Amino acid sequence: MASEIVAEMVAHVWRIVAAPGDVLAAGDTVVILESMKMEIPVLTEHAGRVAELRVDEGDVVQEGDILAVLS
Amino acid sequence: MTTTPTAPARPAKLPRDEDPRNPNHRLAALFDEGTLELISEDDTSGMLAAVGTIEGTHSVAFCSDATVMGGAMGHDGCKVVVRAYERAMADEAPIVGLWHSGGARLAEGVLSLHAVGLIFHAMTLASGRIPQVSCVLGPAAGGAAYGPALTDVVILGPEGRIFVTGPDVVRSVTGEDVDMLRLGGPEPHGRRSGVVHVLADSESHAIGEARRLASLLGDQRTLDLATVEDVDLAGSLPESVRRAYDVHPLVADLLDDGTGLEMHARWAPNITTTLGRLGGRTVGVIANNPLRLGGCLDSASAEKASRFVRMCDAFGVPLAVIVDVPGYLPGVGQEWDGVVRRGAKLLHAFGEATVPRVTLVTRKAYGGAYIAMNAASLGATKVFAWPGAEVAVMGAVAAVRILHRRRITEVQPDLRPAIEAELAAEHERIAGGVDRAVEIGVVHEVITPQGSRTAIAREIAAALTSPATRGRHGNIPL
Repeated sequence: MASEIVAEMVAHVWRIVAAPGDVLAAGDTVVILESMKMEIPVLTEHAGRVAELRVDEGDVVQEGDILAVLS
Repeated sequence: MTTTPTAPARPAKLPRDEDPRNPNHRLAALFDEGTLELISEDDTSGMLAAVGTIEGTHSVAFCSDATVMGGAMGHDGCKVVVRAYERAMADEAPIVGLWHSGGARLAEGVLSLHAVGLIFHAMTLASGRIPQVSCVLGPAAGGAAYGPALTDVVILGPEGRIFVTGPDVVRSVTGEDVDMLRLGGPEPHGRRSGVVHVLADSESHAIGEARRLASLLGDQRTLDLATVEDVDLAGSLPESVRRAYDVHPLVADLLDDGTGLEMHARWAPNITTTLGRLGGRTVGVIANNPLRLGGCLDSASAEKASRFVRMCDAFGVPLAVIVDVPGYLPGVGQEWDGVVRRGAKLLHAFGEATVPRVTLVTRKAYGGAYIAMNAASLGATKVFAWPGAEVAVMGAVAAVRILHRRRITEVQPDLRPAIEAELAAEHERIAGGVDRAVEIGVVHEVITPQGSRTAIAREIAAALTSPATRGRHGNIPL
C-alpha cells in the first residue's frame, strides 16, 4: 500500500537520506529536516520501498507537504 | 431522501451464552478469575454491572449488553450504571465501563435521554474522586460516545467506533460519504481527535490495558528506593545537541521495566504522557519528544499534557517532567488554533498541582515553554538539569541577533558568524546557561544522566506524604 511521508512543520530540507528504490523498514530515516534550529529526522511509520522523493536538499517545505512516497 | 445502504451480512445469531458480546463473558475477562459478583440483574436492561478484583484491587465495572438491541441504553440500563457508580464511590474503588452501544433507546424517547444524562451526572460527580476507565469494544454512538469521553482514560478496541452521529446521518445531512471506521475508528480517534488515550489491537488486549490502568490508578503502592537503580538516561540521546531523537527509550529507562503505559501515543506526539511505576509506585511521566515537531509545545500537546497533569494530580500520582523544548511552535495556524488559550491550560494545570512534581531539563528549555514545563516558578518540587543544559529565553545566537542587531549589521557579512559566536558566548555567560540558572535558583541542582533516575525517585519519595496529597478538583476532559 502506498504511503506518503509528510512534513509535520515548516522546515528546510537539510539532508536527503533515502534514495528512490531503497527498501526501508519501519522507523528508518527518509530525510532530515531543519527547523527550530534542530535537525529533525523524518522516519517511516511502515516498511516500504521509496517510490518517489518529492524534495531536494535546501527546499523549504510547509506543514503537510509530501516529502516522499513509499510503495 | 436518503437511501439506506445495504447492511453488511450479519453472522448468524448465536445463542446468548455463546455470543462473545455477552456482558457476562466480557466482565469475566476483566476481573481476576473467580472474583466476579454481579450487582445487577442479568436481564434485558442492556447493561450488566459487577464487583470483583482487578490485579487484586477491589473494582466495580459495568458492561453494555450488545446482545439486546445492540446495547442501546434505556432507563433501566442507565440505572444499572448509576448504581454501579454509587457503589464505586461508596467503596472508593476504580470503575471500568465496557462499552458496545448504539446510544439511547429510541423507543423510550426522552426518558432514555434523561437516563443517559443521569449517567453523565454520576460520572461528573465521580470525576477526580475515583479512577474511571472506559473500554470501547464495539460502536459507541451518541450518548454511548459521551459516556467514555467523560472518564479519565478511553481505550479503543479494534472494533470500537466512537461518534456522535453515525454514517447514515452524516450522509443525509452533509452529503459526506464515510464509513464507521473512518468516522470514529482507531485512526481518527488515535491520531486526530484525541478522544482515545489507548489503542488496542484486540478485545483481550483492550481489556488487559483496562486492568493495567485500574491497577496503576487504583493501587498505587509505595515507592521503595532500595529497588531503584541508576541507568544512563542519556544512553539513547544523540551526541549532537542539534539532533532530534525519540524520547520513548529515555522514558522507558526512567520507569520500572515494562511498566509504562503511554496515553495519547499518536495524538500530539511532540509530547509524551506515560503512566508507569518507579520503585514500584505509580508515577506519571511527561516528556517533550524532539523527534516530533522538534519537541515544540503547541496547542494540542499543551492540552494533552494539561489533562494528564490534572488526572495525575486528582488521584495523587506524582509527576516526573522531562524537558527538552525549543519553545512554542510559531505560526498563524497555532495562534488561530488557540495556542494562547490551550497553552494556558498547562500553566494552570501545573500551577494548581499539589502532587510531588520533579522536573529534569536534559538539553534545553527555552522561552514560555520553559515555564510551561513545570518550572520552579510554577511550584515544581525540584528542578534538576544536566550539565550543559540551556535554560534561557531563546538560544544564545538568536538572542544576540536581536539584542545586538545594529552591531552585527555594521560588520562585513563574512565576519558576522564570528562576532555572533563571540556575543553569544558572552550572552550565555551572563544570561543563559545552567550555571546562571542555578545561581538565581530556577534550577536547584545539576545532576548527571547516570544519577538522574535515583535523584528523581529520591525527590518524589521525600515529597510524598501519607496519604498522598491530591488535588481537590475533577478531571474535566480538557
